[in-house]
Amino acid sequence: MVSSKPFRKRGQLHITETIAVLFIFFILIVFAIIFYYQYQKVSLKEKQQELLGKRAVETTLKTIFLPELICSRGDAEPEDNCFEVSKLEKAGGLIQQHTVDYYFNIFSYANITVQQIYPENEAKICCTYTKEITKTISDGKVVPGWSNRETSLFVVTLKEDRFEGEPSYGFGYLKVEVYS
Amino acid sequence: MSLRDIIVRGRKSGQMELIGLVIIVILITLGMLFMAKFSLSGPSEKKIFTRQGLAYSTISTLMKTTVNDPSCIPGLSARPLQLNGDLLEDCATHFPPGPYSDSDFSCNNKHSCNYLQQDLIPLLLDGTLGSWNKGYEFKVTLLRSTDSTPVPVLDLISASGGCQNRERDASDSSINTDAGLVQGVLYICD
Repeated sequence: MVSSKPFRKRGQLHITETIAVLFIFFILIVFAIIFYYQYQKVSLKEKQQELLGKRAVETTLKTIFLPELICSRGDAEPEDNCFEVSKLEKAGGLIQQHTVDYYFNIFSYANITVQQIYPENEAKICCTYTKEITKTISDGKVVPGWSNRETSLFVVTLKEDRFEGEPSYGFGYLKVEVYS
Repeated sequence: MSLRDIIVRGRKSGQMELIGLVIIVILITLGMLFMAKFSLSGPSEKKIFTRQGLAYSTISTLMKTTVNDPSCIPGLSARPLQLNGDLLEDCATHFPPGPYSDSDFSCNNKHSCNYLQQDLIPLLLDGTLGSWNKGYEFKVTLLRSTDSTPVPVLDLISASGGCQNRERDASDSSINTDAGLVQGVLYICD
């Protein structure tokens, strides 16, 4: 009579081996899923940041070509990267007055400022547009409600028609902050 | 057990091993593809666009800037002097600065080249690019004739170092003067 014990033992060994291989295989799959999830999470965050960056650039371009600020030359083409100081001084009030009904559709939630660097003795900051995302907390306080902020900086000329026939050109920059 | 059974079982286990090997190869390939995707992703378009736009706007604004300093033209009423048209041209015409080479304008009692190199341009570039932690290099060269070698007239480098061996963008501007062609190049790097 032939004993079946060695065969049974060999079968058990095979089953254990298969279970071990499957176990390792599933662990690998779980690792891959975790890795992919983390990767997707990071790439989604990056994509959000990229979209916000794109909005910052678009807002900068809109501001640079805003007729309320750009240096005009009569019927001729306006000057590149240039703001008129007299227009800037007047535009601040006008933009604040029409933030909700007009400018919000153009700039959305953003903070736009122009800073003069040169001439130094007249260095000034001009606030053109401010609309931040806010939220009211339990005690009635209004706090910033944005989770992401992207800043875009651009160097601009500040034209001042101070001299007879010869305008002076200052040096400054435009700072655009967008929120989401 | 017959010889045929042993051969069939051996063939089956060989096939299983082959499938295992294929799975391992597929997993390794997938891993390598992921790694390649991570390492080959270049700088974002926004970053490049911003740097290019910034280089262009900075050099065009810089060249357009006017100086309203009465000390630049002693005895005359202050009129705005263009950095590009007046001061840079004056610097190139009276280059190199020295005891026997006085420039027409003497802003802050300095030769035009020294005033641009030491006072005005560092003030403008450090106040903007420098304060935003951007590296920059601003070089102005003078080409006296078509077959001569360009002479460096101005050379400014940011406090954080130059843009050599760094990801950079450039924009240039040139003017024709009596002394020759004056070419300015601005490099901006992160």
